[in-house]
Amino acid sequence: MLFNSYAFIFGFLPVALAGFYGLGRVRRAWAILWLIAVSIGFYAWWRPLNVLLIAPSILINYALARVLQRYGDSRPGLSRAALLGGIGFNVVFLGYFKYLTFLESTVNDVFSAHLVLTHVILPLGISFITFQKIAFLIDVQAGRIKEFTLRDYVLFVLFFPQLVAGPIVHYREMMPQFHAASTRFDAGDAAVGISLFSFGLFKKVVFADTIALYVTPVYAAAASGRPPGLFDAWLAALGFTLQVYFDFSGYTDMALGLARFFGVRLPMNFNSPLKARNIIDFWLRWHITLTRFLTAYIYNPLSLALTRRRVARGRPVLGRQASLSAFLTLLLFPTVLTMFISGLWHGAGYTFILWGLLHGVYLSVNHAWRLARQHLFPQLNAYARAARPLGWALTFVAVVVSMALFRAPSVAAAVTLWRGMAGGFGADMPNAVLLHLGGLTAWLRAAGIAGSLTSGSAFVHGWLWIAAALGLALLAPNTLEILAPYAPALGVKPRAGAAPWLSWRPSAGWAVALALVSAVGILSLGQLSTFIYWQF
Amino acid sequence: MTEQDILAVLSRILGELLGDDAIALAMTTTREDVPGWDSFAYINFIVGAETEFGVKFKVAEVESFPDVGAIVRAIQAKGPPLHPAP
Repeated sequence: MLFNSYAFIFGFLPVALAGFYGLGRVRRAWAILWLIAVSIGFYAWWRPLNVLLIAPSILINYALARVLQRYGDSRPGLSRAALLGGIGFNVVFLGYFKYLTFLESTVNDVFSAHLVLTHVILPLGISFITFQKIAFLIDVQAGRIKEFTLRDYVLFVLFFPQLVAGPIVHYREMMPQFHAASTRFDAGDAAVGISLFSFGLFKKVVFADTIALYVTPVYAAAASGRPPGLFDAWLAALGFTLQVYFDFSGYTDMALGLARFFGVRLPMNFNSPLKARNIIDFWLRWHITLTRFLTAYIYNPLSLALTRRRVARGRPVLGRQASLSAFLTLLLFPTVLTMFISGLWHGAGYTFILWGLLHGVYLSVNHAWRLARQHLFPQLNAYARAARPLGWALTFVAVVVSMALFRAPSVAAAVTLWRGMAGGFGADMPNAVLLHLGGLTAWLRAAGIAGSLTSGSAFVHGWLWIAAALGLALLAPNTLEILAPYAPALGVKPRAGAAPWLSWRPSAGWAVALALVSAVGILSLGQLSTFIYWQF
Repeated sequence: MTEQDILAVLSRILGELLGDDAIALAMTTTREDVPGWDSFAYINFIVGAETEFGVKFKVAEVESFPDVGAIVRAIQAKGPPLHPAP
């Protein structure tokens, strides 16, 4: 059941909330059991079989966690085996559903084999659920989670607001909240929750879904061998970057809002990523909980081990005496490997793998520049002032270019789009536009821009939507900044808020504004459109 | 060693890593307070501190130090009363 559907908003959610608050008045434990029951119902809605697939995985993880908890200190060998076994089990579980078909087709490609492809239906949200389970096992083994019950563990895994596409949460940040939260209706939480949900719905159905209408045809054409001209290619590349941002951050706002109805705050997942001034900064603002997971459980252990080994051998690490071999082993290798895993996690396909590798290279270049900068521009403040706009532009274009791989159905289609963006297929715009630009017409023609018979209004509308979305993403405060004084998410600083007139308050003015936002969102629900990240 | 001694050494390590001799860490400093103190510089910093003080942190600790003060306390708890290299 999609968050952006009538069935969810007017059917599932009121029932879930009424049951929770109603039972919560009688006994707290019943409200929690109800929340688990509706979460299972939410998950079963697509395919009841999903529940049967996920249930054994939950029980096995729970059993392993018990072993880790009991023998963590007394029998390190057993504890280590249980942890590795648990991580292995989760990776294989995910691998079977997500990567088997891809693996078979790769074997066919590489060895010219003729394996019959197994068609496995991916249980919804499995990538997100798997990461959370792995983090839980590691945290139990490290002693960061001391106590847990089966009921709490099931709630942690299946809590419906963040079940399908995150944010990727830690048990240790969720459970204390569930234990402390009131199970009674709280008007303050509900007001913040409904505001977050309305903003998210609006971002999704008004911006992401509308921009998709202009992006989809260009990618479809590129995939079927009809190359896009300069304007179409940029429309599609910029458009998809904005689409995926409004789609995923819209989904996240809705998830944060839904959790808040139950008195729970989810961690911040987006912080205006398109405002980032470098690619390291971008990854601290985009899908923050994924970056947090990858850093804590893949990059840090790997990088720590590599750096310690190098130090033990007495070889220089990076600092003022940076060397190429130190850069390759301590920086490039762990960074690219981590982002390769990130790419593969997003999807089983060459496009996602290349997308991950590209970002790994971006990040390494950024780190290399930070090292070189110390020598080239020792005056940090003067440098920062001059480099800021340049850094933003470079980061933005790098992200837009990479997103072609995220959207294109094949690497070839992404390359076609890139060629189009570079002007490789010429530049044309509709005659209906080109011939009505006054003095500019002759100038554009001289610059090599041809006229075409395509729709002028589609061209104008597409670019207007992109301009509007871009303006919002780059200039406006984000949802969390608007709601900052009311702690809309974990990790939001109360003082990092928006300008006073844009700061959310329980006032009549905001009530009217939000009524409009949610009305437009609900009235735009016409067509069923899934979230991009729900496919992962 | 006192907190101030450890802070002075940690400040020197980070200053060398980030090419900024003006860095002066306090117990309450967090990574967000220091420009450029990214995940990469952080790992280098941790290994630098391990080498300097002759201690070894657990991976789980490394990830969850909330501020510099937590690192200082971990060093005090683990470390033998070493005399760091000048």
